[in-house]
Amino acid sequence: MHSLYEIFKRNGYTRRDFLRYVALLVSAVGFPPSFLPNAVKALESKPKPVVIWLEFQDCAGCSESFIRSTSLLPADVLLDYLSLEYHETLMAPSGLQAEEAKREAIERYKGEYILIVEGSVSPKYKGVYCTIGGKSNEEILKEASKHARLIIAVGSCACWGGIPHAEPNPTGAMPISEILKDKKVVHIPGCPPIGDVMVATIVGFVMTGREPALDNLGRPKTFYGQTIHDRCYRRPFYNAGKFASSFEDEGAKKGYCLYKLGCKGPITRNACATVRWNGGLSFPIQSGHPCFGCSEPDFWDRSFLYSPLSVVEGGFGWKKVLAGIAVGSALGLGSAYINKKLRGVK
Amino acid sequence: MKDVVFYDFVRGPLLKFALFVFFAGISYRFFRVVFLGLPADYAKPKGNPYLMAVKKIIIKPTMGWTFNEIFSRRAINFIGGFLFHLGFLGLTFFVPAHALLWKEIIGISLPVMPSLIVDILTYSALGSLIALTLHRALNPVLKLLTGKDEYFANLLVALILFTGLLANKWAGGGLYIWLLSMHMLLADLLILYIPFSRLSHFVYYFLSVGFMGWNAGKRGVSF
Ligand code: SF4
Repeated sequence: MHSLYEIFKRNGYTRRDFLRYVALLVSAVGFPPSFLPNAVKALESKPKPVVIWLEFQDCAGCSESFIRSTSLLPADVLLDYLSLEYHETLMAPSGLQAEEAKREAIERYKGEYILIVEGSVSPKYKGVYCTIGGKSNEEILKEASKHARLIIAVGSCACWGGIPHAEPNPTGAMPISEILKDKKVVHIPGCPPIGDVMVATIVGFVMTGREPALDNLGRPKTFYGQTIHDRCYRRPFYNAGKFASSFEDEGAKKGYCLYKLGCKGPITRNACATVRWNGGLSFPIQSGHPCFGCSEPDFWDRSFLYSPLSVVEGGFGWKKVLAGIAVGSALGLGSAYINKKLRGVK
Repeated sequence: MKDVVFYDFVRGPLLKFALFVFFAGISYRFFRVVFLGLPADYAKPKGNPYLMAVKKIIIKPTMGWTFNEIFSRRAINFIGGFLFHLGFLGLTFFVPAHALLWKEIIGISLPVMPSLIVDILTYSALGSLIALTLHRALNPVLKLLTGKDEYFANLLVALILFTGLLANKWAGGGLYIWLLSMHMLLADLLILYIPFSRLSHFVYYFLSVGFMGWNAGKRGVSF
């Protein structure tokens, strides 16, 4: 098994290129510069990580995002380095051969491989909604997680249940952590998550041999420790009280804050505003669309994608105000009447 | 509990419940007082009671406005009270996030203020509230007039101002949503608490001051 350095060399890169990318990786993972020598040593000597990637109730969007990560490692190196032993969308074999390859990989790399899960699990009716090669998704997950060195849930479906879990959740979809209750699961939520974040988490694990520091919901603190709002380049407009009121108005053209259009940046923890997408090119807010908080649990069910964060969910409005006043006045009138009666006032 | 679940609860069902209780509670108490009415008084009014009631409501707040009164004898009450009310009401209605909420509740678009003004109002309201509370606790006369109700209300309002300040100023990292939820939870509690406490003075103040003016008008005396 080749190390990252050997793969760089094989693809025609110089040692200088290798060092440059390692420096980038170290900073992306959030380690101090003093860690650089250790990182270089680890990536020169440690064999490339073996990855088994399972897909359950998903759309393969996380896989799409993953293979488009180009900022941290050159594309040719990336796909060579992360040895995807099993990945339904990307691998060539299919059918029984594919299942056999997975079984073999689990056997051969026992206790060494990284298990990545994309999509929610559906244990309802013995897994009838998601069965692969005659096995229920729950069974496959339990089997593959048994000997995994590290388990990563990628995407909001695997982390929180995601869109399959949205009301009325007909398939009983749930996050994988509910099935793997006794195991530690690293969560990389997003719909999809940023490819570079997935790559940085895996390479960070190779560099240190440990999983990253996680928050209380199991997300790497480096990438999910801050809200989008904290790092948003439109924040000065928010602070100045300058908002776009529609997608076409003057405010929108001037790049004002998108809070009024329903931006969920203030309650969304993700790295979109810093790492950005497509090789650091842009992210939703930069392209003029409010953040709708895809990396937070149950974002889909919150059903207020385009209404400002501070408004009452489902609305309140005049009718309810008047109803409150009517009820209160009736009670006031009633109680005054009874009081008067009791006191014998005419 | 996931923070966003709690967040959705305080900004959704709890806020709606609080608002309904608020409008019902305020109108209950208002109409109860009005319907209870006064014992019949057959004396002929000596002046114009309604005009005097309106006059009293309008000029009462400025009646003590002498230099001496404002800046020396009752400086804390006047300056602190003014700054606190200005800040608290200004923040309640014109912070952008709040203005959008009011739009949803009463259907009227309110203007919004920039963060700098928001900050100034918050610091001055918070500072005045602390000064007013200390004054209450230390002043021998006010001490006698103050009960648990006042201290609780002051604490609640101070916490709302403080969490609001943090929500605007503090990056907060992963704890930010808890903080924002706490701010809204406390505001929900305040909305629920107002009709049943002395904080309802924002309505009854006008009623009682108006009554005083009306009474004076009826007797043909000045106030
Ligand atoms: S666009 Fe969204 S994230 Fe950016 S400052 Fe406005 S509310 Fe915050």
